[in-house]
Amino acid sequence: MSTKMLQFTRLDQQAPDKRPAGERRGDFGEISRPFLPDQAAGQSSRCEQCGIPYCQIHCPVANNIPDWLLLVAQGRMEEAWAASSATNAFPEICGRICPQDRLCEGNCVLEQSRHGTVTIGAIEKHITEHAFAQGWIKPPIPRHERPQSVGIVGGGPAGLAAADRLRRRGYKVTVYDRHDRIGGLLVYGIPGFKLDKAVVERRVRLLAEAGVTFRTRITIGGSGLAFAELRARHDAVLIATGVYQARDLTVPGAGLAGVHAALDYLVASNRKGLGDAVPAFDDGSLDARGKDVVVIGGGDTAMDCVRTAIRQDARTVTCLYRRDRANMPGSQREVAHAEEEGVRFEWMAAPEAVLGGDAATGVRARRMHLGVADSSGRQTPVPIEGSGFTLAADMVIKALGFDPEDMPGLFGQPALKVTRGGTLALDGPSQATSLDGVFAAGDIVRGASLVVWAIRDGQDAATAIDAYIQGKARAAAE
Amino acid sequence: MTDGERFVAAYLENAARLEAAGIDLTPHDSCGVGLVAALDGRARREVVTAGIAALKVLWHRGAVDADGKTGDGAGIHVELPQEFFKDHVRHQGHEPVPGRLAIGMIFLPKADLGAQERCRCIVETEILAFGYTIYGWRQVPVNVTVCGDKANATRPEIEQILVANSKNSAEERFEADLFIIRRRIEKRVLAEPITDFYICSFSCRSVIYKGMFLAEQLTAFYPDLLDERFVSRFAIYHQRYSTNTFPTWRLAQPFRMLAHNGEINTLAGNLNWMKAHEPRMAHLVFGEQMEEIKPIVQPGGSDSAALDNVFEVMVRAGRPAPLVKQMLIPESIGQNTRMPEAHRAFFSYCNAVIEPWDGPAALCATDGRWAVAGMDRNGLRPMRFTITAGDLLIVGSETGMVKVPEAEVIEKGRVGPGQTIAVDLEHGRLYRDGEIKDLLAARRKYGSWTRRITELDSLVKTGAPEPVELSAADLRRRQLAYGLSMEDMELILQPMVEEAKEAIGSMGDDTPLAVLSEHYRGLHHFFRQNFSQVTNPPIDSLRENRVMSLKTRLGNLGNILDEDESQCDLLILESPVLSNAEFEAMREYMGKTCAEIDCTFAPDGEGALKDALARIRREAEDAVRGGCTHLVLSDKPVAEDRIAVPMILAAGGVHSHLVRERLRTWTSLNVRSGEALDVHYVAVLIGVGATTVNAYLAQEAIADRHGRDLFPGLTLAECIRNYKKAIDQGLLKIMSKMGIAVISSYRGGYNFEAIGLSRALVAEFFPGMTSRISGIGLTGIAKKTIAQHEAAFAADSAVLPVGGFYRFRRGAETHAHDGTLIHTLQTAVATDSYQTYRKYADGVRRLPPVTIRDLLDLRPAGPPVNVDEVESITEIRKRFLTPGMSLGALSPEAHGTLNIAMNRIGARSVSGEGGEDPERYRPRPNGDNANSAVKQIASGRFGVSAEYLTMCREIEIKIAQGAKPGEGGQLPGFKVTVEIARLRHATPGVTLISPPPHHDIYSIEDLAQLIYDLKQINPEARVTVKLVSRSGIGTVAAGVAKAKADTILISGHSGGTGASPQTSIKFAGLPWELGLSEAHQVLTLNRLRHRVRLRTDGGIKTGRDVVIAAMMGAEEFNIGTTSLVAMGCIMVRQCHSNTCPVGVCTQDPALRARFAGSPDKVVNLFSFIAEDVREILASLGARSLNEVIGRTDLLAQVSRGAPHLDDLDLNPLLAQADAGGYARYCTQVERNEVPETLDAQIIKDARPMLEEGEKMQLAYNVRNVDRAVGTKLSHCITKRYGMTGLAPGHVTVRLKGSAGQSLGAWAVQGLKLEVYGDANDYVGKGLSGGTIVVRPTISSPLVTHLNTIIGNTVLYGAIAGRLFAAGQAGERFAVRNSGAAAVIEGCGSNACEYMTGGTVVVLGAVGANFGAGMTGGMAFVYDAEELFSLKANPDTVIWQAVQTEYWEGQLRALVQEHVAETQSPFAAALLADWERELPRFRQVVPKEMLSRLEHPVTREREKARA
Repeated sequence: MSTKMLQFTRLDQQAPDKRPAGERRGDFGEISRPFLPDQAAGQSSRCEQCGIPYCQIHCPVANNIPDWLLLVAQGRMEEAWAASSATNAFPEICGRICPQDRLCEGNCVLEQSRHGTVTIGAIEKHITEHAFAQGWIKPPIPRHERPQSVGIVGGGPAGLAAADRLRRRGYKVTVYDRHDRIGGLLVYGIPGFKLDKAVVERRVRLLAEAGVTFRTRITIGGSGLAFAELRARHDAVLIATGVYQARDLTVPGAGLAGVHAALDYLVASNRKGLGDAVPAFDDGSLDARGKDVVVIGGGDTAMDCVRTAIRQDARTVTCLYRRDRANMPGSQREVAHAEEEGVRFEWMAAPEAVLGGDAATGVRARRMHLGVADSSGRQTPVPIEGSGFTLAADMVIKALGFDPEDMPGLFGQPALKVTRGGTLALDGPSQATSLDGVFAAGDIVRGASLVVWAIRDGQDAATAIDAYIQGKARAAAE
Repeated sequence: MTDGERFVAAYLENAARLEAAGIDLTPHDSCGVGLVAALDGRARREVVTAGIAALKVLWHRGAVDADGKTGDGAGIHVELPQEFFKDHVRHQGHEPVPGRLAIGMIFLPKADLGAQERCRCIVETEILAFGYTIYGWRQVPVNVTVCGDKANATRPEIEQILVANSKNSAEERFEADLFIIRRRIEKRVLAEPITDFYICSFSCRSVIYKGMFLAEQLTAFYPDLLDERFVSRFAIYHQRYSTNTFPTWRLAQPFRMLAHNGEINTLAGNLNWMKAHEPRMAHLVFGEQMEEIKPIVQPGGSDSAALDNVFEVMVRAGRPAPLVKQMLIPESIGQNTRMPEAHRAFFSYCNAVIEPWDGPAALCATDGRWAVAGMDRNGLRPMRFTITAGDLLIVGSETGMVKVPEAEVIEKGRVGPGQTIAVDLEHGRLYRDGEIKDLLAARRKYGSWTRRITELDSLVKTGAPEPVELSAADLRRRQLAYGLSMEDMELILQPMVEEAKEAIGSMGDDTPLAVLSEHYRGLHHFFRQNFSQVTNPPIDSLRENRVMSLKTRLGNLGNILDEDESQCDLLILESPVLSNAEFEAMREYMGKTCAEIDCTFAPDGEGALKDALARIRREAEDAVRGGCTHLVLSDKPVAEDRIAVPMILAAGGVHSHLVRERLRTWTSLNVRSGEALDVHYVAVLIGVGATTVNAYLAQEAIADRHGRDLFPGLTLAECIRNYKKAIDQGLLKIMSKMGIAVISSYRGGYNFEAIGLSRALVAEFFPGMTSRISGIGLTGIAKKTIAQHEAAFAADSAVLPVGGFYRFRRGAETHAHDGTLIHTLQTAVATDSYQTYRKYADGVRRLPPVTIRDLLDLRPAGPPVNVDEVESITEIRKRFLTPGMSLGALSPEAHGTLNIAMNRIGARSVSGEGGEDPERYRPRPNGDNANSAVKQIASGRFGVSAEYLTMCREIEIKIAQGAKPGEGGQLPGFKVTVEIARLRHATPGVTLISPPPHHDIYSIEDLAQLIYDLKQINPEARVTVKLVSRSGIGTVAAGVAKAKADTILISGHSGGTGASPQTSIKFAGLPWELGLSEAHQVLTLNRLRHRVRLRTDGGIKTGRDVVIAAMMGAEEFNIGTTSLVAMGCIMVRQCHSNTCPVGVCTQDPALRARFAGSPDKVVNLFSFIAEDVREILASLGARSLNEVIGRTDLLAQVSRGAPHLDDLDLNPLLAQADAGGYARYCTQVERNEVPETLDAQIIKDARPMLEEGEKMQLAYNVRNVDRAVGTKLSHCITKRYGMTGLAPGHVTVRLKGSAGQSLGAWAVQGLKLEVYGDANDYVGKGLSGGTIVVRPTISSPLVTHLNTIIGNTVLYGAIAGRLFAAGQAGERFAVRNSGAAAVIEGCGSNACEYMTGGTVVVLGAVGANFGAGMTGGMAFVYDAEELFSLKANPDTVIWQAVQTEYWEGQLRALVQEHVAETQSPFAAALLADWERELPRFRQVVPKEMLSRLEHPVTREREKARA
């Protein structure tokens, strides 16, 4: 029934309904309503079924997007779910939080030719939510158990994706995480209005039901579990810790009270949302209510911060970024959402100093213009003389990115090779590190990046670990 | 050494080199043919002289060497003048014994006197051994000075041996003995190291004089023929046109029985089946000598020679020549509602005995007693006849070959499709088609014989429910094991079931050749479908379905020389494709006569497959020896521990094994294959010998999908019926590409070419199939098959992979048009950045190997030179073209952009099929020129007017297209916008059909004629012929060069398309590397290379591709897809859906608005590629492209593919023929000129009209050698006044006699041609406004509507103008007419086919299949005998009485005009009695037009409108 496809000439693009901005500001619920089944089928049928699916080419996990769009359009939901979950351990998460406008949807041929992209992300979410609702999604219990085990350090997206794929292959899997909950950034970093926490919990529960062991509040190295012990326990180890070291603001006044790291701010908010006791929030220091908030940075984390602040009922929320809208690293769609919700953007502006006595009272900034492109092709921002201005700010959030921690030091493994940037160095094309049987995936390898890349790495690591363990088993048998 | 001898020596040396490289040098030939017979059975001199005279006006159907003397062969077959030879015997001092003497006309080795003597000795020994005596040898007097240098160099010693009937045998016996003796002689000589021995004829009845001179030199060369004693009751004559230049005397015709014009398409299958038949052949006449005459078909002959061999043996076994003609070249039974029951039974019998020899054939034959002229089922060659008052029957390819005063002509007719006329020379009686068939049908009780045939269909179509056996999981597991994907299910299977048609796709194939792929590819991927081009036409399996047949005989095939009822003990099926239930029913019916063989094996290492194949063949052999008449090969037992043998190997293995064991005709070979899914797979199975095919797993998949409600509205039975129908139709299409109409002649014919199969494997399993570069062998196949199976059964859950073969999917098959690289290139051309282009080009180079050239690397010719020394970008860009992409496929914006860009840089764009907007003939105000420099002329002839052909620098004849060679096309109604309809002279919204063949090119001499016509209509333009790469293309190219083409384009299989069946895109045609190198090599061999340019296309992306193509012989390059990419194409591959989102390939105005291409981008692309070429040339030490053209020595194979391959050997592509001092590129500056025609004189005489605009009337005598009369004059008028600048009848040219072919081709308004006499084929081809009148002379006694006056394919592609002919037309009248009005008085089959406009009035009987595919225009047929409804093709038209006044008026006006122009008494009589005659007219209206007509045709509609 391929004739049903290619409907873009007749059917306009329609995203799932968004709740009105005013309503959104009042809570941390997801902002989009789900698709109705007919709507999803109709929107899927707009797909052009391209000879070269650029959506897939630009999808980190190479989702077979045209194929499951076809299946959704024909109402073949169970097949669609099978096709979708074949390439992605957590499609419902990617469907929610991927910056599709920079990946599949942004490269959709229909988007490129100004017809409006197929709403791939929303459909992806719809497929898996439908599958959950129908009870098709079962714990990934393997058909055959294998004797070998794998230890995974870090319960974020990379670690969980690897856990899922390894468990399906029959390995015993233990996930170690330093937090009290499994999920890493998915739980503590990303606000609930983008990703409802229940969505993550649901996955964790399924993994647990399938026999994955979760060990929370465990640190590796130092006073915690020795890395050598970890290697001894398992046939292979996967490091998927992510990067947590916030990049600092280096202007005068950066040390004043009221200046916070983005992650501290977001974790506090998320914990609060999960019902935890969070003293730093309750005492008001990490609560934006009634404050003039300035967020410095233009990435997705900055967007999470501004939108969180709005929801905490801040007086004003301003985002300060030194390049323009077109050159920001974060998702355009998030900017749009934020603007709808009342965030002010000061483009082409860089902080000069945080003003105030003990606590911040404002940010002095100056205007920038974009100079010549550097080797990476991005234009370098250059300050405009005499363009200074001041923003009132009793809360300043630094969202300037993250760097890796000192892994060899932390784990007491000087032989663990790292790159100049401090991320773990991989040995060849697989996810193996310089230590035998130790693999790595996610941000700790690529630096701060997207969840979907972490999932991709986790899945690749599972394949690499499987090959490694099977190779060893074969060698032992011979 | 003379030049000729030097040529011969060099040719033979080169030919040996090329043959070693696997190039098939077998020439194709075609020609003019004819027969003169005495209807009163009285031998006389007049018959011989008429034959000789006819030959003299056939020269234009042959080709002449550059020396002006060496022809391709001519000859004549006449009765043996007993007295002439007896006098000779007496002269030698002997007294001849009473009774007939016999003459052997023999070619002996000339130079090697020892060999010559040895031959004489063998001849004498064999004659004497049979008990006959010899009068002696006679050296045939010849005049060698009329022979060209080359012909003389290969000229044999020509002698006659005179044999006495000293045994006093009866004449029949003597003749049979002479045949056996001849076969014995031939066998003995074959055993010796002697090559140049050949017996032209060896008979007591007739003698053949033939050789390699021009036809008109026949009597000069053989003065014997001038002797008055040469009298005869018949003369069969022949002029040959060969596709090579090497004069081979033995291949001149006539052969011993027949002379043939055309080509046997089914040759491969026929030869294989003859081998299979031979073991059972026996006949009383031959007795114990039977083995002496085997093999029946002698090696080294042509297709015609092979047909002659079989014809002869069947005649000798006691069948009269007319019967043998019917058996070998039968009329089509299928859907012929008019065939009498007796004839039907007779032809059913013929089909039960032997597979038809099918293909274009006009045949003249004799067995001494009968003279026969016959035609193939499709009527693809012309054959006209004249009966004179002097009791002569004159038959020939053209009318007017023998000059007969009109007053003495009693009848002028033609031999139609499947027809035969025969003269019983003994009794002096002419049998017309119906009469001879009556006579033959009454020979035996064929009716009761054929009742013994068991029609299986009634038994297998039990209506039993289709079984569903497999669980969903088991089904998936099996599908996985065969490498099937979701893509196969959704893209291929689903449309087949939904639409009962094959899936359609678009753009070219850019995936790796199967042998280069890293992924599992089914064995069918290694088979490329063959197709016909130039030397024979494909058939239109849709519109001409009536000649096609899938009828499948099962079981024991008997002795073809028998004539008894047991030959009809057969099972017959309507189609070889069986559903599961049908297969079960058939299996049950066969019972114990059937043996089932398990085609799976246990995975015991890589030798396991080999062992399994040995077992399968052994079991098959044992079963047949044990008496089984049916075999079933099945891979159904596949399971975790049982791997399926690739069914193609199993079927091919058993078939070839049984043929070798001489057992094949004892059994049917039925296969149940799980891997078979698409049409191509089924075609391969049948092509390698399977009798029936059951795609059981495909059916299970359908059932599974049906169960999931994916075919709403269809029952499972309907789904399966649709799938079967899609396969059936697809099979017909694949056969028809080869021009094969009947599946029994296709089966086992290996009508494929292997790419990447090991030669050893092919020799063992598919003997005779071409596999030039070798490749994967049994070990490799075993490895891949086992790995695929194990992966399938090891997988956790059975989920089909998504695929990636038709469309890109990451992690699956490579596609050469890589997504990221496309964007890089688009950035490069948009930003004018050569650096970015370099990134693109380097990226292309880094892709895994996809094509043959990816395995090659360049070797420097010398030290590198500075880039500045290399010829300029401008120079190189001139060699680039954008290939034919029509204005129907591309959006007008994209089409115009390409044209403007190419014109800007002095390069060329090809218009594609579909006309050009006249607005583009003048540059735009800003100087942009949107007129395509090259105008394409394709089979649809859409918009091909005199003006269109005049406004260009070059004309390209598209014979075939890489994406679908051998197929036609269809522009669906929704794409026919107002603008397109205007350019194509059609109606908006109405479907337009392009036929598979050019209906004026069924043969090589037809192509020569078209080239001639085009060079008349445009006296400056060069002519290009576009071919598609395949093996054997070299000889075709040589033939095309001899036809005076200026450029030959070799298109690769990867070429794009706006819409084609997926299996055609994927599995037909070869890479250009193979075809180009072969064409270059063979043209060099024939010393034709420097006279013709070579161009190539198919996936050329970078400068490197260009340089490699140059080294393989190309001097010009088409870049299609990549130029589209430069304009914004992103390979969405939905061209066929009209939803191109970037406005490149769509007619939707909203989408066209998205077009973002610009001429600058295209210019940048070509500049970058040229710069790339310059850099490469500099690095190789070359300063111009000319320096590397044809230099295959600069190419080296650097990869031999994957380690599991036996060998991948590209040396055959790199073999070089010695150029003999000529350039390896075209040195011809001017175009290859053609001779002038009558128009040279007419134009001189018409100066007052052309210069001063005066009205004129001119008169001339005309003969059949005056071709394309009025065409060049039309060019002059168009140039001076435009196509419609003169009023109709401004200049009248009156002609008396028989006009040659293409009378008034593209004649424009203002020109009127009046012929008093008759005309040949292609009258009014492309008629562009002119008027043509053909009528008998006033003195002629002929009754107009009962006689033939114009030939075949009249008004083909006519656009405007009028034609009145007082007589019948031949076959295919007004095919693809889009605007001309015509009145004729009867016509042959397929009239008004694909017509889209104009009005045709036929005042007499029409042939079969009237109005097939007609979507526009109107026809009126005078149907006095009320037979029209039996003759019309109801698919696209309706017919009715003339109901409305408006249309009656139109009809009447045309008939009145006809009477005024021709004075036809018959038409005048109709007018006189109009009221009574009007009800006898049928008005034929295309269905799609009914609602669109300005003047409705029914009273109701008329009322509704009023």
